[in-house]
Amino acid sequence: MSRNRAITVAGLLAWRLLTLLVLLALIFVAIDVLPSDAARVALDSDASEADLRTQRTQLGLDQPVALRFLRWIGGLSTGNLGLSARGRPIVDIVAGPFPNTVAVGGLVLLLTVSVAVAIGAATVTAGKRLGQLVSVMSTAVLALPEFVVATAFIVVFALSLDVLPASTVTTERGAPASAAMLILPVCALALRQIGWNTRIVRAALAEQLRTPHVDSAILDGLPRHRVLFRYLLPGAVPTIAAGVATSVGMAFGGVVAVEAIFNFPGMGAVLIDAIRNRDAPVVAAVVALTGSVITVVLVFSDLLRANTTGGAA
Amino acid sequence: MKPQSVAAGRPTPGAIARLAPALGVVLLTVIGPLLVQHGIDEPVTAPYAPPEPGALLGGDQLGRDVLSRLFAGGRDLLATSAAVAVAVTGISAVLGALSALRRTIRSVVERTADLLILLPAVLAIMVIGTAWPVTGRLPVVIAAIVLGTPFAVRVAGAAADPVARSGFVEVAEASGGGALSIAFREILPNIRGTLVTLFGLRFVEAVYVVATAGFLEIGVQPPAADWAVMIRENAEGIMLNPWGAVAPGLAIAVLSISVHAAADLITPTPRTRAVNHL
Repeated sequence: MSRNRAITVAGLLAWRLLTLLVLLALIFVAIDVLPSDAARVALDSDASEADLRTQRTQLGLDQPVALRFLRWIGGLSTGNLGLSARGRPIVDIVAGPFPNTVAVGGLVLLLTVSVAVAIGAATVTAGKRLGQLVSVMSTAVLALPEFVVATAFIVVFALSLDVLPASTVTTERGAPASAAMLILPVCALALRQIGWNTRIVRAALAEQLRTPHVDSAILDGLPRHRVLFRYLLPGAVPTIAAGVATSVGMAFGGVVAVEAIFNFPGMGAVLIDAIRNRDAPVVAAVVALTGSVITVVLVFSDLLRANTTGGAA
Repeated sequence: MKPQSVAAGRPTPGAIARLAPALGVVLLTVIGPLLVQHGIDEPVTAPYAPPEPGALLGGDQLGRDVLSRLFAGGRDLLATSAAVAVAVTGISAVLGALSALRRTIRSVVERTADLLILLPAVLAIMVIGTAWPVTGRLPVVIAAIVLGTPFAVRVAGAAADPVARSGFVEVAEASGGGALSIAFREILPNIRGTLVTLFGLRFVEAVYVVATAGFLEIGVQPPAADWAVMIRENAEGIMLNPWGAVAPGLAIAVLSISVHAAADLITPTPRTRAVNHL
C-alpha cells in the first residue's frame, strides 16, 4: 500500500516537473520566433550588419534553438538565469526585487489562509445569517481587480486617515524601508484571494459535514469546536491546499499592478521595465521564476493531499 | 441525476434584479456619449478641478471633463470583455461536452489546464505583447481566451458528465451519432443553465484581466479614455478631485459585482463540484 502510494506521489512530482519544462519550452520558442531580436534591441537602430552579427555571437543567438534552450534550462537549474538583452546577468537584475515579491506573496498567502479558514469555520458554526453575509461579501471582493482595491485603500488609509504610507521608500539594499509599507499592498492583494478561498473553504467544510464519520461524531454529542478541529478541518485540508495553490498564479497579475501603484521594488517593476525595453530574456526568466514558484506550491499541495487521502489524489 | 435538473437555471427575477446595476452601466456607456457636451481630449477645466456646473464630475489631470471620459471609457472594455467571454464560453461548451463523451479529449484538457496554471494571465499578456509586434487589444484578447478556456472546460465538462451518462445519450451513441452531433443536439441544450452562469463568470474574469492589463497600459494607450487608465492617471490628484479615479473605479466595481452576483444566483449545480476538481 505505502509502496503504491510512493509511486503515485513520484509520478505526480515527475508530471509537475515535466509540465514546467513544457511551459518553459513553449515560452522559449514563442519568444524565439518573434521578430524583435534581442541583438537588435541591445544596439542602436543605426548599427551596422557586422555589429549586429558580433552582438548575436556574443549573446549566442547564432546557435540552434534546441541547443540554446537546453543551455538555458541547464543554467536555470543551477541558478544562472542568463543575460539580459543588454548583456547584464539577469540574476543581478532580480536579486533585489525577487525576495521582496516573495515576501509580499508569502504574507498574502498567510493572511489569505488564516482569514479564509477563520471565516469558513465561523460560517459552519454560526447561523444562516452570517453565511449569507459571507456569500455576498466573498462574491463582491472576488469580482474586484486588485488595482481598484489598492486605489480605494490609498484614498481611505493613506490620504483620508493618513495612517499608512501610500508609497514605498526603498533602502540602499533595495528593500522596503519599513514593515508598515507592506501593509496596504499585502491587504489589497489578499482581499480577492480571501474571497476566492473563503468559497473553497466553505464548500470543503460543507462536503465534510455530509460524510458519515462527521455525522456520527455530531450524534455522539461531541462539542462543536471539537468536531470542527478534529473532523471537519483535517478532512478539508486537501481541498483548501489546492485552492491556495491556484491563488498563487491568480495573485500574480495583481502583484504587477499593485507593485506599480505603491512604487514597490519587486518583480512587477522588473517585468514592466523588461516589457518597455522589449527585453525578451528577462521576460522569459520572470516566466521561469513564477512558473517554478507555482510548481513548488502545487507540489506542496499534492503532497498534502497524498498524505491525507492515501495517494488517491 | 436527471438532465432536466441540470438544465434548470433560468434567469430568475432575483438574478435579473442583481444584473440591473450592470445593465445601467452598459446603458450609460451606450447613450452617455450622446449626452455630453465635451470631447474626451478637450481641456475644459483646471487640472483636477472639483465638480462645477459645466463639468459635473470635475476635471482630470489635464483638465478634461471626467464625465465625458467616464461615458467614453467603458465601451472598449465592455466590448473586449464580452468578446472574450463569448469565445471562452463557446469553445469550452463544445470541448466540455466532447470531454464528457471522449476520454482522450478530457485528458488533453486536463493536461493543458495543468500547464496553463503555471502561467498567470497578466504575465501571458505581457509575453504575447513583447513577443509579437501587435498593438491594441489583440494580445490581451488572445491571452485571456487561451488562459481562461481550460478551467471553463472543466466546469462545462462537470455539468455535461451526468448528461453524457444518461440513457438518451447512450441511445444516440448506439444509433451511430458522431460525438460532435451528440454534443450539439443532446448535451449542450441540457447544460444551458451552466453555460449562462459560465458566461457571466467568464465576463467578470475578462473584465478583471482586460482592466488590469489596461491599468498597466497594455492594449490601450493614453490619451484614450479607458476606465483602468483613468484610475491610473487620476490617482495622484485624488485629494483635489477624487471623481477622476473614484468614478471609473465605481463603474468597474458595479459592473463586475453585479454580473458576478447574478451569475451566482443562476448557478444550477452546487459550486462545490467545480471547486473540488481544482
